[in-house]
Amino acid sequence: MRKVGIVGIGQSRFGIRSDASLRELSFEAAKASLDDAGIPLDDVQAMVVSVASDELSYALQPSAQVVDYLGFNPKPSFRVEGACASGSMAVRTGWMTVASGLADLVIVVGAEKMTEVSTAAVTDVLGRAGDFMWEYPFGMTFPGYYALIARAHMAKYGTTEEQLSMVAVKNHHYGALNPYAHMRKEISLDKAMSSFTVADPLKLYDCCLISDGAAAIVLASDKLAGSLSKKPVWISGLGLGTDTISLSDRRDITTLDATVEAARQAYDMAGIGPKDIDVAVVHDCFTIAEIAAYEDLGFCAKGEGGKLIEEKRTYIGGDIPVNVDGGLKSKGHPIGATGVAMAAEIAKQLRGEADPGRQVENARIGLSHNVGGNGQHAAVHVFQVD
Amino acid sequence: MNEKVYGARCKDCGKEMYPAHARCPECGSEKLEPLEIAGQGKVLTYTDLYALPLDYERRYLRLAIVELDSGLRATGQLLDEKPKLGKRVRTTIGVVRQSGDRKIHGLQFVPV
Ligand SMILES: [Zn+2]
Repeated sequence: MRKVGIVGIGQSRFGIRSDASLRELSFEAAKASLDDAGIPLDDVQAMVVSVASDELSYALQPSAQVVDYLGFNPKPSFRVEGACASGSMAVRTGWMTVASGLADLVIVVGAEKMTEVSTAAVTDVLGRAGDFMWEYPFGMTFPGYYALIARAHMAKYGTTEEQLSMVAVKNHHYGALNPYAHMRKEISLDKAMSSFTVADPLKLYDCCLISDGAAAIVLASDKLAGSLSKKPVWISGLGLGTDTISLSDRRDITTLDATVEAARQAYDMAGIGPKDIDVAVVHDCFTIAEIAAYEDLGFCAKGEGGKLIEEKRTYIGGDIPVNVDGGLKSKGHPIGATGVAMAAEIAKQLRGEADPGRQVENARIGLSHNVGGNGQHAAVHVFQVD
Repeated sequence: MNEKVYGARCKDCGKEMYPAHARCPECGSEKLEPLEIAGQGKVLTYTDLYALPLDYERRYLRLAIVELDSGLRATGQLLDEKPKLGKRVRTTIGVVRQSGDRKIHGLQFVPV
């Protein structure tokens, strides 16, 4: 298989984007990624689109809206889906398309429009990403799943509500420095701790935002990548793991085995280990998810994720800076866009082009971690620059 | 009331599972028989949901994952005023959701 490099990155501003439709958001991101790569869309041979939910877009094949609006017809396009991990599935599909030799130049576009339906309806749709028959009917929601994980984690490892809130404080700290972030403001530990309960023990600031947004990357084969970009960002490892549909059916409720499996595959393929990672973006749909991700990705031992954030070791300057773009927590989580935005953020970091105050100096190896549902899917990608 | 909840048991290796699968995750056999999910167990984890999905007009909803004495785990509504991890509960079946005229029955847990 051929080496594949990221040669263009783009993102729309995330947030409540009542000014833009799904297709317009996609265009914002795609245009930016093509300008960044310095190529016209005419040169691109295939498009992979990630829009997670038909129910939020009120349409079947919402990807067709994107392809048409961008003017890509009649070239091949392919939509992939894995709930909140859809974006990373799309990156993986784009990588496969180039690595296999099917195309030399591919654009991957992720987009989601989430704020056109009520919060209760979004809550309902996301709850149905879990076990539709055996868990969702009880009134289960997404925060509910992660609250069950959080309480079990706290009981087993002594993780505290303060430690959960510290994740939110960190991610808002960096999100405030990111011009594309949904909620660009710092929060205090006190404010996070005193916010209202969504699903006990998770409070408002433990939960990510419901956002509109889009992201895009341009992928090129090794030969082309070198001529298109001064600093191509190589995708050197990919992992994709799966786990039970029911949370109750897991080997261990406090561990996402899909993450453990995906990380193992990605580290093996890249020939590296967690200690080699200079910068990471992880799936912090809830603060407990970031703490579990530290552990399941091998950034610390199982059960020590709470301590890792408490000792600020995931801030810039610490052992391993995590979510210095604000994470899903502050940057926002337009579900189909998230995985693509993660790849774009790591590429930005490895190119040394992140905003002042949130650039990890001399970062050479980066990692993205994207979870679908409450751990039914997880994708881990490793990125490197020469 | 006749409603029951079923998982499955593998006829070849005896593995019990909930929810049911088409294929035994232990030995790969497709010979599975229904297994009633009922009995006593202990609360593994629980939560009170305050941001509720559609169909619920109440202040909060208490959900739990319970480990049954058989070792199987199940998610359901926890009907207990004083929830605690490790507390003994037993299964019952009741209306867990009402959507218009449609009532959905499912697992609930009550203190022993
Ligand atoms: Zn069997």
